[in-house]
Amino acid sequence: MIKNKLFSIVYMFLLTLFFTGLVSAVHTFNQEEIRLNEHIKLQKIILHVLGMQPDSNVSDNEISRIFNKRIKSEEQQGRIIYRGYGPDGTTLVGYAFPLFGPGFWGPVFGMIAVDDQLEKIHGIAFYKHSETPGLGGRITEEWFVRQFKGKRLVPVQQKYFFLRPPGTAQAENEVDAITGATGTSRAVEKLLNSNLAEYLALLAKHASGT
Amino acid sequence: MARSKSRKIIVKGLWKENPVFRQILGICSALAVTNLMINTLIMSISVVFVLAMSNLTVSLLRNVTPPRIRMMVQVLIIASYVIIVDIMLKAYLPDISEALGPYVGLIITNCIIMGRCEGFARSNPPWPSVVDGFACGCGYAVILFLVAFFREFLGFGTVFGMSVLPAQWTRWTIMVMAPGAFFMLAGIIWIVRSFEKKEEEQITGRS
Repeated sequence: MIKNKLFSIVYMFLLTLFFTGLVSAVHTFNQEEIRLNEHIKLQKIILHVLGMQPDSNVSDNEISRIFNKRIKSEEQQGRIIYRGYGPDGTTLVGYAFPLFGPGFWGPVFGMIAVDDQLEKIHGIAFYKHSETPGLGGRITEEWFVRQFKGKRLVPVQQKYFFLRPPGTAQAENEVDAITGATGTSRAVEKLLNSNLAEYLALLAKHASGT
Repeated sequence: MARSKSRKIIVKGLWKENPVFRQILGICSALAVTNLMINTLIMSISVVFVLAMSNLTVSLLRNVTPPRIRMMVQVLIIASYVIIVDIMLKAYLPDISEALGPYVGLIITNCIIMGRCEGFARSNPPWPSVVDGFACGCGYAVILFLVAFFREFLGFGTVFGMSVLPAQWTRWTIMVMAPGAFFMLAGIIWIVRSFEKKEEEQITGRS
């Protein structure tokens, strides 16, 4: 009896060792490829929020080429900021920076771009989240993110945006929330405002300093 | 003789014991990944691969695995293959990997796979187990393709992304959304089962 139990444990241990080894090997072998894909994806998102995305059918090399020409990344106090330049590669047209914060179920990752005067929003995108598909997950949909395009950045009570019940958003700093996803909408409002406040202060200080 | 046995297993997987419309298994993913045929194709290949490989592994280990811990072993095996598929998709088909989202990972919990390991591979030699996994995977794939074909055709007017209907075609948006999948799947199960009505009547006691 003891022998059987011991065998079960040893057997399970060895089998687990074998399969974790196998999975790790496959992972290590493909790591570089996956990293590259994610890199391209991020470049696409940054170009997209800055309104610089080329046609959807251009090759990955072309995306990288445009990115390298028009985007320069830099670190300010440990925060990454992407500067976007015009087609000539020298006139500054705006800044892009990441959005990050807790959603309703898990962390939400996004990207936002503002103009060079820090007055208007160029575009916004959410690309990684664990919100409920069809409810909170709709933050990635075009109709939701399109609402932010061209909005002026004027803080009211230290908040840039208010998410209102769907269909009732009217003022410049209001956008429609998502039906059935109050939790996600509130979380997005919060992370949007806190990220904007932080990065805009950083950018303003940086712009005046140079 | 071996060949006729394989054929029997294939017929079972595709028709007589089809996992989707007979056993109503794997419905979650059948509903989720069928709005575009290309997604369905990749999902089906993944499921066939995982099913065949898990069946093979479980069958190879069937005489050594202590029965008491067999479920644990099966989950370990299935999960490993699914993670491998997931890594491969992320590395070589990133767009499709994103479209399928969590459903690749959820193959682990697809009842078809554990069902075949437990119901077939555990008590059969390796070769028939691989055939069984392959057949059941194809049985799953066929139904998914049927659902996906109608959903994409009516919902987008395309087949595998190619336009086949005139531009003025009014898209049945509901087919692309979740309810469309329910209608389609229910419709297919209804049609298929009415073919088999006689057979069912003979064994009414079962249902």
